[in-house]
Amino acid sequence: MAEKHKPAPMVEEVSEFEVLEIAVRELAIEKGLFTAEDHQRWTEYMHTLGPLPAARLVAKAWLDPEFKKLAVEDGVKASLEVGIDWVNSMPTHFGTPSDYCNLRVLEDTPKLKHVVVCTLCSCYPRPILGQSPEWYRTPNYRRRLVRWPRQVLAEFGLQLPDDVEVRVEDSNQKSRFIVLPVRPEGTEGWSEDQLAEIVTRDCLIGVATPKPGKTANDPRPVRPAVNPYHH
Amino acid sequence: MSKPHYDREHHVKKATGIGDPQCFKGEAGPPKFKVGDKVRVRDLPDIFYSRTQVYTRGAEATVAELVYESPAPEDEAWDNTENVVWFYSLIFKQKDLWPDYPDAFANDTLETELPERWLEPL
Amino acid sequence: MAEINPKYLELDKEMRERNLDESTPVSLLEDVKQKGRVWDDLCEEYGVDNPDPPWRITLEATCDMLAGGYWETFNVCKPKEERNPEEEEKKLDAVERRWEEDKLVEKYYEQIPFPERQLLALAHTLIRRGLFDEEELARRMEEVDQRLNSA
Repeated sequence: MAEKHKPAPMVEEVSEFEVLEIAVRELAIEKGLFTAEDHQRWTEYMHTLGPLPAARLVAKAWLDPEFKKLAVEDGVKASLEVGIDWVNSMPTHFGTPSDYCNLRVLEDTPKLKHVVVCTLCSCYPRPILGQSPEWYRTPNYRRRLVRWPRQVLAEFGLQLPDDVEVRVEDSNQKSRFIVLPVRPEGTEGWSEDQLAEIVTRDCLIGVATPKPGKTANDPRPVRPAVNPYHH
Repeated sequence: MSKPHYDREHHVKKATGIGDPQCFKGEAGPPKFKVGDKVRVRDLPDIFYSRTQVYTRGAEATVAELVYESPAPEDEAWDNTENVVWFYSLIFKQKDLWPDYPDAFANDTLETELPERWLEPL
Repeated sequence: MAEINPKYLELDKEMRERNLDESTPVSLLEDVKQKGRVWDDLCEEYGVDNPDPPWRITLEATCDMLAGGYWETFNVCKPKEERNPEEEEKKLDAVERRWEEDKLVEKYYEQIPFPERQLLALAHTLIRRGLFDEEELARRMEEVDQRLNSA
């Protein structure tokens, strides 16, 4: 019995970083920058976020041409069907500067591959995709993807044929973006759940393409720039 | 939230329950450009805040979509939400943005959104 | 484009002249940087594979909260006479914070992984802006440490 209920391993040590995080937060609250209640409510909301709704949206679109049409035409409306209300899910009921309510779903074809970046800061469709990964936030990715997209994609392990148009989406205003990749071969007859499993976060940003059997993101070491990134 | 510290913000009141940019719908007037139009990005002075990337200035693009209506970031940054404009999704040839972009990938493109005031007809 | 308000030009100049190169290392944060155990190390020692430390989301929430009214830009972009020193100065716009995070990480925290570096940069930013000082933060860290480690 006891073994069956063995808890997941935990880190039994409070690091200096954890202490620093708490100290910064407590001081900010005491100085009236925000309230503990607001912080807690926002934290709880953020804990509910992750890439699953976006993966499900893609899986649904693969299975249902009508839904795909809706997703491409009105991403915010289509999001409702995977449980994300861009306007009212957030505690604020209006979004934040990082989470405007205009989702655009970028449809790949065999001859067109989208990949998303925000060169100005690191805008990301958090309500439907969760927190952005570290590499997405780095100046390296943000500055180099617009300039050398094929090289950056190759660093992510994605080599694209010359005749495929690579379209970089620079998310600079109020729209947020996810990529609707091409449904891969070898997934005929799959259920929505099975399909959603292979639509990883990286596929939704556009730096990877879905493959049967591949359900996790590759580790992405943050690299120093190979090319100079000023322009 | 327990302490509505954003209450002073008239445009937040306006957006609550509706969403931003949805809350500006219908305020921009007739759009100057339509899908398929060729435009050039103007090289306007940057006044403290802009979200028009330097690499797009002076470049040619094609209008792909009229995406929404909203105040331009230059205005919104100063809390001026009176001047609502159309936003366009634009497609640039990479070759037009970066002259040394490899010829082998002449089809590669970049898409981004800009407010109407940054665009002039070609 | 509408006519340029000369006030904005002045503020624009103020922003451009703000130079992070004049920043200095914060010895408290240098200590944390040297002695603190990053999440990757702790995971290895305790056999945990959660990619993020438990405090990552609370840190993100703190950053969102610091942006205050969300739609407000950082106070410095307002004409001086319109700033409310009591409230407005406390807001830290997300774009502004991210810009400073990039600069501070490049200068001081390059060798520290994420999200530890985001945390160090945020603490650095808040000290630079005078929201609290180094001694105050050190005292609070000691209190928190005793609270969490004495149980």
